[in-house]
Amino acid sequence: MLKYLKKYWVYALLAPLFMVGEVVADLLQPQLMSTIVDEGVLGLSSGGTGNLRLILITGLQMIGLLALGGSCGVLSGVFANFCGQHFGNDIRKDCFRRVMALSFQQTDRFSTGSLITRVTNDVTQVQNLVMQAIRGFVRTFMLFAGGIFCMVALDLSFGVVIACALPFVLGLMLFFIAKANPIFGKLQQKLDQVNSVVQENVSGARTVKAYVREEYEKERFGRANGELVDTQLRVLVLFSYMMPLMNILMNLAVVAILYMGSIRVQSGGLTPGSIMAAVTYVSQILHSVIMLAGIFQTVSRGAASARRLREVLDCEPALADGATVPSPAGPVGKIEFRDVSFAYPGGSGERVLEHINLTIHAGETFGILGATGSGKSTLVQLIPRFYDAAEGVVLLDGVDVREYPLKELRGRVAIALQKSELFNMSIAENIRWGREGAGPEEIERAASVAQAADFIARQPDGYETAVSEMGASLSGGQKQRVAISRAILKDARVLIFDDATSALDLKTEAQLYAALRTSHGAATKIIIAQRIASVRSADRIAVIDNGRLAACGSHDELMAGCPIYQDIYNSQLRKGDETDA
Amino acid sequence: MPKEPQAQNPNFRMPGHRGPGPRMGVAPIEKPEDGKKTVRQLLRYFSRERRMILALLLVVSAVVLCSVLAPSFQSRAIDQITAGAFDELGPVLLWMVGLYLLYGVGTLFQSLLSAHLSQRIVRRMREELFDRIVNLPIRYLDSHAHGDVMSRMTNDVENISNTVSQSLGSLVSGVLTILGTVAMMLSYCWQLALLSCLTVVLNVVATKYLSAAMRRFFRKRQLLLGSLNSTVEEMVSGYRTVVAYNRQEAVIKRFDETSDELTKTGIKAEILGGSMGPVMNLISNIGFVIIAAMGGFFALRGMISIGVISAFIVYAKQFGRPINEIAQLYGQIQTAVAGAERVFAVLEEPPEDKSGERTMEGSRGTVTFRKVNFSYLPGKPVLHDFSLEVRAGQKVALVGATGSGKTTVVNLLMRFYDIDSGEILIDGVNIRDIGSDALRRGAAIVLQDTVLFSDTIRGNLKYSNLEASDAQMVEAAKMSNCHAMVCKLRDGYDTMLSGSGANLSQGQRQLLSIGRAFLADPKILILDEATSSVDTRTEKNIQDAMVRLMRERTSIIIAHRLSTIQDADVIVVMDEGRIVETGNHRELLRQRGRYYELYMTQFAGQKT
Repeated sequence: MLKYLKKYWVYALLAPLFMVGEVVADLLQPQLMSTIVDEGVLGLSSGGTGNLRLILITGLQMIGLLALGGSCGVLSGVFANFCGQHFGNDIRKDCFRRVMALSFQQTDRFSTGSLITRVTNDVTQVQNLVMQAIRGFVRTFMLFAGGIFCMVALDLSFGVVIACALPFVLGLMLFFIAKANPIFGKLQQKLDQVNSVVQENVSGARTVKAYVREEYEKERFGRANGELVDTQLRVLVLFSYMMPLMNILMNLAVVAILYMGSIRVQSGGLTPGSIMAAVTYVSQILHSVIMLAGIFQTVSRGAASARRLREVLDCEPALADGATVPSPAGPVGKIEFRDVSFAYPGGSGERVLEHINLTIHAGETFGILGATGSGKSTLVQLIPRFYDAAEGVVLLDGVDVREYPLKELRGRVAIALQKSELFNMSIAENIRWGREGAGPEEIERAASVAQAADFIARQPDGYETAVSEMGASLSGGQKQRVAISRAILKDARVLIFDDATSALDLKTEAQLYAALRTSHGAATKIIIAQRIASVRSADRIAVIDNGRLAACGSHDELMAGCPIYQDIYNSQLRKGDETDA
Repeated sequence: MPKEPQAQNPNFRMPGHRGPGPRMGVAPIEKPEDGKKTVRQLLRYFSRERRMILALLLVVSAVVLCSVLAPSFQSRAIDQITAGAFDELGPVLLWMVGLYLLYGVGTLFQSLLSAHLSQRIVRRMREELFDRIVNLPIRYLDSHAHGDVMSRMTNDVENISNTVSQSLGSLVSGVLTILGTVAMMLSYCWQLALLSCLTVVLNVVATKYLSAAMRRFFRKRQLLLGSLNSTVEEMVSGYRTVVAYNRQEAVIKRFDETSDELTKTGIKAEILGGSMGPVMNLISNIGFVIIAAMGGFFALRGMISIGVISAFIVYAKQFGRPINEIAQLYGQIQTAVAGAERVFAVLEEPPEDKSGERTMEGSRGTVTFRKVNFSYLPGKPVLHDFSLEVRAGQKVALVGATGSGKTTVVNLLMRFYDIDSGEILIDGVNIRDIGSDALRRGAAIVLQDTVLFSDTIRGNLKYSNLEASDAQMVEAAKMSNCHAMVCKLRDGYDTMLSGSGANLSQGQRQLLSIGRAFLADPKILILDEATSSVDTRTEKNIQDAMVRLMRERTSIIIAHRLSTIQDADVIVVMDEGRIVETGNHRELLRQRGRYYELYMTQFAGQKT
């Protein structure tokens, strides 16, 4: 983390230096004030006659000092901000860059939500920590130490008062922090619970109503809410005790100072003005102690965030880039799985794919069928290296996919995913993700192949209609078609549809595949589907069963020789014969 | 200087409750639309807490009294020291100790009271709000952004309670402090009092000017922060797509731009914010010098004592703070009132009409739609003269293109929406006459977008029937083909589903919600694309089980896959809100109409 600070070491150094200036001014001010009172108003050294000139001169000096101190404070703020915010910005950018280079295996491990908080919230926390450290920490410490020093310098008896009061104040503070900290963690958890109940009820309202669970949900919410409120109350009550206790302690110190001071004045060792100065110092010391409590919070939170950020920054991208860029010879888009096995890392260790041997020829339309969880999606995700095979090799055009530079490899493969992810921009921009710089005609052509042109045209702003966040305004089928347009626009030599048409009605789906055949005849097309109709006219169909390749062949071959396929067929079209009726 | 700014008003915020927002006083201020009405509503709403509020105000007054009196004792002490009257010092110091203790106890009670008050308000308001949200008509939830409803629950309620419990105290104590301080100052020396007021006014003007300048930057920073956060959220959750299209570089570039812009604005805002302290410090000390000089001048003339000067110095500080605070409070209160307006808007929303005397006791499950017309938006009809008769025990399928109105039929039958004209009858009784709760207890529904709760699998399955035994639950799970899958999980039925069931595949989630519907043991079962992500063989098994379960009961099924519905007793083909064909599979194929066409696409695949 420190290496990020190195770049801004000048600022990091200047900020505390100027802060010293500000604090010195703050500390000197009570001295001047006491001079004004003692000499100017009381005229102690001139036998009891005040000196208005002195008041004015010292007053101007004081204002000058404060102006100087204030400028120092502002400059210190400027440098601290330069340092802290640039530091935060660098980390944020590096962190995001790193996240964008992680493999799915790694993002799965971190979980999406946690990565988001790290890039946003944790960076802010660390940034606050740095600003606090180079500014607040110096200030607090100097006010604290300087205040004590000045008081002792005024009179030793004040030092005794402070020495008696401080252990109590500090002890009290540490006690409360120690008590409060664990509650803070719990508080966040309780808050998340309340939010999740509300979230579930708002988005799942139909289910709640359908099962008439309103009362049940109210109880559930009441529990979560009650827990949150109780926890929150505990923190508030805790702090309700802290502040008055601190105040009483410090105010007793003030009384003690007045008392001690009076004795010292009586014996002629001290002036009333210095008593007033001492009272001011007491308040400064108390102030710094309270600030210390805040700093403690920032440091403990910042340290936790720094640790979480380091985890991301230290996470080496697991996928090594290959170096060879093979020149395509002959027909391109040939895929080969050689004895491929795979288990999700961090999962139960159960193999999702076992010894798959399969060749998909260039330009072929290849269907993949299989039950939910049989490993179909996993298989195709090995091609663009979303995951690496545990055993065996995957080859694209005769070259191990691991030997390609990632960018090159993924440039050759277009994949439309089961869950269509659209981004919060216009439809046109979403489609243009497929190929940067594609013109409007190309986008429209891709959309019309994907059977999306009609409904897009019906949108209020056509292609410029904004897809509201994660496509909530579009139906499932419409989202899928936009996502498919995007894949089609990419014009890759391998086109993968991972159950990407599940929400389309049959007619639309059939039209889509027909249009695709005419427009992308030469590309290798891999279609994962549930419906036999989706893959029926494919050149060959692979049937995956429990991670194994059960059979592979054309529809007719499978109908003749593959019981699983027949079974699937029958489950979908078992009364097919009646068409003749 | 007996007190610290923080001491009097525990303006304490929960850490982690709000993101890195702008500091207080420079937060963007929202203006309510009809402030007066909302304030009246708020007053009525809080009248139940009036005893607590009254107690709080009393305590606040006591605290203010202490804090106004304390400096006068301090000044007397210093006077006595100066005058050398050390014998009289003792009682004064004792008085001070007493006053400080009282002050401490007072602040303790003040913050305890305000803590309890705020939490009581939060609890009640959240509960009432939730009560209302749960009972809102589906139409409301469908037409309002969910995030918006959520933020009323969290941010707005929090704002209101903070304002009532803390800002109210600050406001009262502020006003009292100002009055008390001014009175004390005037009683000492009116000339100095006027001078002090002048410096305070200077201070307030400076604050106002500075914070107005700052607010612009903080608002812009807030906007940029929002856009940065949503970029991160989108790109990280859509990371698969980013990778699939090699868009990492472009995404990073966009992120870097926003991030740099945010940093620039942030630096400006923070520097302005940071300069506020020193400037205020300077101004208040100029005030101090003026008071000291003038005080000295007056003292020289013998008009006032030295102690009075020291008291004035304290008073001037004490007097300036609440004025600044009140200026800030004004903004806070406005924001809170705007929030309250949104909360009341939900609370005033009429709840779903669930009235109806009849129950479904002894119902056989005959469903009749008679000339039903319906539109979600006025002028855009979704169903036209829709008439359909489903006899008890029948399995009816609705097919048709996306947008043809199939799901609407279900929405109407469950009374999620009320129809515009016509009638829907169950066993000859208009569903408007059946209590909605009774109606929904008699019917179970499985939706396209599966909803699972963050609870155990057991809890999710039994959601439909809280009294069900474990044996019944396992039976339902077996029927819906999810028993085997659940058994594979480490904790079996006690597995916690996190984040609305995100750790299961879509297909598995569908199986669970079908299991849940089976467990409800309904008279009418509705499946709306409930098996779209389930492979067809598993689906077949579920259907066989369903046939057994639903014998002599009515089921309505919506599906794209014709395989799902081939053996239905009646297949209804819909197009643009109208029924175009009805009949069973055989009959419809023979008609060679729309169904035949659909069937051929599926059967013959892409060959048509």
